[in-house]
Amino acid sequence: MSRCKTVSFFYALIPLRPWRDLLIRRHIEGCPHCQAGLASRGESRSLFVQEGTVSSGRTLWTGIESGLADEAGEPIKTISRQAPSALRRRRWAVAAALLLVLATGYWLLKDYQPEAVSVASAAPARFELEYVRVDGQPANAVIYQPQGSDMIIIWAGKNR
Amino acid sequence: MDEQELIAGCLQGRAEYFRMIVERYSAPAMALAMNILGNHNDAEDACQELFIQVFRNLKSYDMNKSFKNWLYTILYRRCLDHLRRRRRSAELVKKMGQETVPATPANPGSSERPRRLPSDLLESLKARERIALCLWANEGFSAREISEVLRCSAGTARVYLFQARKKIKKLLEQGHVSLQNG
Repeated sequence: MSRCKTVSFFYALIPLRPWRDLLIRRHIEGCPHCQAGLASRGESRSLFVQEGTVSSGRTLWTGIESGLADEAGEPIKTISRQAPSALRRRRWAVAAALLLVLATGYWLLKDYQPEAVSVASAAPARFELEYVRVDGQPANAVIYQPQGSDMIIIWAGKNR
Repeated sequence: MDEQELIAGCLQGRAEYFRMIVERYSAPAMALAMNILGNHNDAEDACQELFIQVFRNLKSYDMNKSFKNWLYTILYRRCLDHLRRRRRSAELVKKMGQETVPATPANPGSSERPRRLPSDLLESLKARERIALCLWANEGFSAREISEVLRCSAGTARVYLFQARKKIKKLLEQGHVSLQNG
């Protein structure tokens, strides 16, 4: 009973079909308690239309005959037996190509150092300090930044 | 007459053999289509498409495999097409804010037909679960045979069937309880 609950918990927890199939095969199919929670064949059959109660009648054959005779109409879509596996192969190919691109990208970029490092090392050479001058004399300068704003105001007045 | 003989006769171009195939399989095919589509006219349309496709593609049928499974696979696809058309029509109606369903050129009038599954309980199942349950209950198919029809793995078919049976049982029990209370 506790095992059934555990199986039920893990069934709900991991919604992967192979995993669920494993649980069904390993436990549920052979467990009378779990089987009691499933509709029986008889119960299920009672919900469906049975072939004995369906009348296809002449109209079906008439429709088929006229459909086959109507060669001028649009051809009926044929089923392709190879389609599912071809689609699967294409998906695998796309996945493999993506993986290859990601691996190549990683390999190319793993040793890449961003330019910020070289800028930082070159910064002292580029940095320059100058006096703010008014009439050739160092000015009385005030730097002001309003709160919560990126704007910076520099006020320079004549030094008296 | 043997199934293989009928198919061989059809491949030789003998129309009466094809008619015999239609007569033999029309009732189970109609029942299956009705159980998926829930509407006699839509089911008949799907069966017509099925047999026309069978006639045109009989050469590609692998004689080593079950003919009935092959037939059901095509029918299942045709039924899914009908369900898709229906869904598109419903979406269109929803967009337009109308109450009546417009007829699509590909299938005029079909959307206006009342849709009613054999049992309300089946409404709670997805199309794949419904067909898996139907094949298991009506035809006695195993998970492997269901997987051949649904074109999926046997494991996936087993999961569909399990979920369908579980949902139906739960609904049956709820119905039973509510009847007892009522």
